This record gives sequence, structure tokens and C-alpha cells, in this order.
Amino acid sequence: MAVDARRARLSPIAFAAVLIGAAIMVAPLIWTILLSIKSNAELVGNSAAALSGPYTLENYQAIFGNALTTRWLINSAIVSLGTTAGVLILCSLAGYGFARLDFPLRKTLFVLVLAGLAIPGEAVVLPRHQLFAQLQLHNSYAGLILPGLVTPFGVFFMTQYFRAIPKEYDEAALLDGASRLSIFWNVLLPLTVPAQSTLAVFTFLASWNDYWWPLISATRSDMYTLTVGLAASQMNYAQTSGLGFLMAQAVFASVPIFIVYLVFQKQIVRAMAGNAIR
Amino acid sequence: MSWRLLAVLALLLGGCSGAEDREGIYLQRFFGECGAVYGRTTDVAKVEGECGIITTLINKFNEENPRTPVSQNVVAWPGYPQLTAQVAARDPPDVVTMHSGVISDYAAKGLLEPVEPLLREAGIDPASFTPASLRAVTIGGRIYGLPWDTHGGLFHINLALFRKAGLMRGGKPVLPRSADELLAHARQFKARTGKPYLIQSLVGDPAYQTRNLYTYLMAHDAVIFPDADHVRLNTPEARKIMNFFRRINVERLGTLDQDTPAAIATFMNGEGGIYPTGTWMIGQFEQEAKTPGRPLHDSYAVYPYPRLWGRDAVFVSGHVWVVPTRQRTARQRAALARFFRFMAAHNFDWVRTGHLPAFKAILGSTQFNALAHRPEIAPLAIFGQPLPGYVQRQSAIEGLIGEEMAAAVNGQKPVERALRDAERRVNQLLAEVD
Repeated sequence: MAVDARRARLSPIAFAAVLIGAAIMVAPLIWTILLSIKSNAELVGNSAAALSGPYTLENYQAIFGNALTTRWLINSAIVSLGTTAGVLILCSLAGYGFARLDFPLRKTLFVLVLAGLAIPGEAVVLPRHQLFAQLQLHNSYAGLILPGLVTPFGVFFMTQYFRAIPKEYDEAALLDGASRLSIFWNVLLPLTVPAQSTLAVFTFLASWNDYWWPLISATRSDMYTLTVGLAASQMNYAQTSGLGFLMAQAVFASVPIFIVYLVFQKQIVRAMAGNAIR
Repeated sequence: MSWRLLAVLALLLGGCSGAEDREGIYLQRFFGECGAVYGRTTDVAKVEGECGIITTLINKFNEENPRTPVSQNVVAWPGYPQLTAQVAARDPPDVVTMHSGVISDYAAKGLLEPVEPLLREAGIDPASFTPASLRAVTIGGRIYGLPWDTHGGLFHINLALFRKAGLMRGGKPVLPRSADELLAHARQFKARTGKPYLIQSLVGDPAYQTRNLYTYLMAHDAVIFPDADHVRLNTPEARKIMNFFRRINVERLGTLDQDTPAAIATFMNGEGGIYPTGTWMIGQFEQEAKTPGRPLHDSYAVYPYPRLWGRDAVFVSGHVWVVPTRQRTARQRAALARFFRFMAAHNFDWVRTGHLPAFKAILGSTQFNALAHRPEIAPLAIFGQPLPGYVQRQSAIEGLIGEEMAAAVNGQKPVERALRDAERRVNQLLAEVD
């Protein structure tokens, strides 16, 4: 009802403007899909051929024809889900600790965590690569997941959320004889589900789309993630001679993300609007 | 709770795997992945394109050498970030595709093995390499790989438009013999066809600019890199060359604001006379030339860059099979030698892609010269010239020079300032090289 009421307030001009804006935003997506269902031969020299038939699924067949594509898909799913699960566990625990527990150097440690927000990933990629080489973690799921678990933003985000929960909940549970861990697990954690979902969605998206670390850590094709595998499948000048295939790869790699967005769109919108922390 | 956390961490770490024991050869290459189409093909004569041919050749090697099979890792082009990561992790592949201009970066740090012993074991005499290939793999008197091809810039020509422009003689395109003549041809071409004489990829393609500059500096016999630490670009020769390309743009005799895909499409759609790009496009343009109804149908020719100044010269590069340094057993070395022998014996199959052969015998063979356009472009394998082997960071240098050249020919910077800036930036980069 509330949504209908807001829509009713849009004047025809505003509605037309929104419609045009939406069309402009969705046009590249439609263009990509159209290109992906045209044969490469037809697109060579004239990409406008995508605007008319005949259309074909041969580019998608080529993707699935590669025996490793399914493996890359599974690898991406394992890495993204593993990273997401790990981040949720670690950030929740750390957030709870920083928000609720009193321990030596708590503030200093929190400042150190926040300082991590200012360090770009590229700055630590060399020592991290060397460390993982010494630990023989390259070309393994652990090697792909562990770096993603270090998320200062996640710790900060969860800390703020825990801080916003009234301390009376803890005190009541303590009076009932609950332990700290029990309070965290049974009382506070369920209250953080909105923040957990937001953090999960962003972590999953970032992990799924990550290219640079999997590129240099997974150097064997059976350990590639989807982003690296699809890039390796491209021939030189794919933009010209394999445009349809290139676009089919883009669409294929986006499908899981699209599904995640559909399922979690409420959380994403809330996060974008800055309403997740309250 | 804690046991669950530990279980998750144990699960994560359970995926760890150490260095894998290997049998045979672990090969790493670019050229794309096309196992879906050619995964089981071994008849290389029936296959086209870089990816198809290399995949089929490796299949064939595995069929003939079941005891030392090649397992291949296909990397995203050009694959050097991965190779560097593998070297840092002390787990490099046994054999890798590498551009000849990159060899010096790795060889200078002892990361590549000189391959003379492997060549000897394979029965390959370096004297059998074409001059361009031999120059490409030789650094400080040592040979750092099995050359696989030579590739460099060519003038790809639309004959139909040349005919319309009155630039055909005896069924062949008339190519300029000096810079002034090129400008005259270009003006005539534009006046009669209404289209640009040159198709140029001036956006996001520093290689295009640098290739042109290197080529015509070499034609002047200019010493571009007097030593490993310095480049010499702010010279009268370089100024002459850059002013010439600037003039083409001022008079709108070439396309502007196009990147590589746009330039390729422009040429294939018959919207310009000449597209100066590399050997690697011959296959695709030839395909267009064979397709009725397409603008290039029966109207495509290709020649080396014309001599506008000095002598015949073209800056070239090449694909090379290099061997990263690592501990190897005698059996693995023997397998590598067998792989080298096999690849050398199949070099002709590879040059059907449009690249030039790495071996003199193929260059002079009837089989090679029967391929479309090969007699015309074969001289590239003789006078083609890479940068000196002592020059490191060639790829980064190409980017810096290309950027400054683009600024000059597009009129964003005066030519002299662009050359001065390019020289300063490259020297700065070289000073930082270990």
C-alpha cells in the first residue's frame, strides 16, 4: 500500500524521466544479452547485427562444451560461500568482542582494525603471495578463501551493529545465568540477522567477482575460479572475432550474481540506503 | 560454538594441497582455451586458428608420447602475472609461451634456462633459425628458448578502394617509396574515395604507435637503446617520423579516435585503404576476402611496411617456448627435448595462423610459399628486427612511448616535448631496473 501511495505521487513527467533513466540503465544489459545470442561470424565487422535475428545459443554451448567450466563454477561457489561463511563468523565474533567485552588494548586493537580499511589490497599482495607460497597454500581452496576473511569493514560494520543493540538484553540474560558465549549465540546473534545478510551479500558479490588474487594464486586451470577461467578461455582480439562468445561469458558469469540479487534485493537496497545500521 | 568454528576452519584448511608430483611436461600457454572443439583432434592439417592449432599439436604430441604427456595450463593473455607468481612460489611450469620482448626480464634474473643443451639433444641447430628468430631468442650470446614464430607490422590493403583511388599498377597496389609520396597517395586516395587512406588504432593501443616509431627509426639505422639503461628518442630522425604521422592526422588522411576492435571493423567493412597491423590478422582478413558479399571479397593484399626512409626494416617480436629455471630430472629434460623436436618439426602447421616461420627451411619451402600472401611477407623473417636483448621492461617501455606518441600525433603535445617526455620516462624506468 505504501509503495502504491508513493507511485501515485509521481507526476507523468517524473514517471517518464524515471522510465527513461531505467531504460538507459538496462540498455547495456539487453545489448550484452543480444550480442551473446548472435554468432561470432555475424558480429565481425558489424555488431549492430545483434538487433535482428537469427539468434543462436552456440556461444553458450561453447562455454559448456569446455569440460572445465563446471569445475570453475563449483570452485567459485566453494570460494564465495566459504569466504562468506568465514567472514560472517569472524566478523560477528570480533564485532561482539569489540562492542561488548572489556579487555586490554581493546580501543587500540579496534583502531588497528580500522586502519586496515586504509590499506589497499594491492599493497599487501606480494608479501601475502610469498606467505602463501611458504605455507604451500597456492592452488588450494584455503589459499583462495583465507585472504577474503580479512575484512576490516566487516568487523567495523558488525561492531557498530552490536553497539546499537541495548545492553539490557545482555544484563537480563546474565541475571538468568547465561554465559557470554551463550548470550552472543542465543540472544544477540539472532538480532543481527539484517546486518549479517547485508554483509553476506556484499562479501559474496566481492568474492565471486574477484579476479586478481585467484589469477595469481590459482595457477592451475583446475583450480581457477570462473572469472579467471573465462578470461583464460578468450583468444586474442576476442572483442572482434569472438564478440558473441565474450558476451555469453559475461552473461554466464553474472547469472549467479543476478540470482543472489533477486533473493536478497531487500537487504541490498537497505544496505545501499544506509539503513542496515541502526 | 567453538568446536563448530574449528570444524569450519579445518574444512577450509583441508583443501590445502602441496606441490604436486609431476610426470611428463607441465606446459603453460596463452592463445585461448578451445578444448570443447579441439579437445580430441590430432589431425592438425584440418584445424584453423591459433587456439585450434596449438591444442591439436599438443594432442598429437601426447598421442605420440604417451609416457611423457604434456599437461597444459591455459592462462589469460599474456599470462605473465601468473608466471611471475609461479616463479615466486618456486613452482614454475616446465615450458611456457613467451613473447620474445619479455625474455630479457626473466633471463636477466636467472629465471630462464639457456636452452642450447636441449636444442642439441633435440637435434636442432640454432643456425637453422631465421635471422629474425635467432635475434629474438639470443641474449648475451646465449639462446633462451625455441623460437616459434616471428610477427610484426604489415600494411593490410583494401584493393577495391586502391583501384578506385587509381593506386593499382599491374594488378598490384602501388605503395609509397617515401614519406612525401605516402602523403601524396593518401591525399589522392581521400579525394577519389572519400575515405581515409590509413586506418589507425590510436586509442588504447600503445603498441601501434611504438611499432611505427621503432620500425622507422630502425629504417634510419638509429640506435634506439645505446645501452641497457638509456633510450634515445629526442633525435632529428624521431622528430621527422612523428611529424610525418602528425601530418597524416592534421590533414585527416587517417582515422582518428579508434581503438583496435574499431579499427579492425573499419578495415573489414571497407571503410579505409590501409590498416597497418600485424601478421596475426592475416587469417581473419583472408577469411573475409574469401567470403562473397563482404567488402574485402577478392580485394585483400598484405605487404611489409613500405620503405619510407633509409633501408628495409620492421620492428618484430615473436612467440618463443622458454624453459623456466627449476630442478629437473634427466627424464624430464629428455621429455623437453622431445617436445622441442616435435614443435620444431611442426612449425609449418603453426605458421598457417599468419605468423612467420622460425626456421629458414620452412621460409624457403614450396609448402609455405603456396599459402596466401606468404611470399610477399616472408622478407619480414629476414630483416625483421627485435629490440636488443639487453633491453628489459620492453612491454612497459612500449606503453610509455605509445602514450607519448599518441599525445603527439593527436596534437595534445608538441612532438618535441612528447619525445623528450618519452625519453625521460623510459630512462627513469630503466634506472629502476635491478
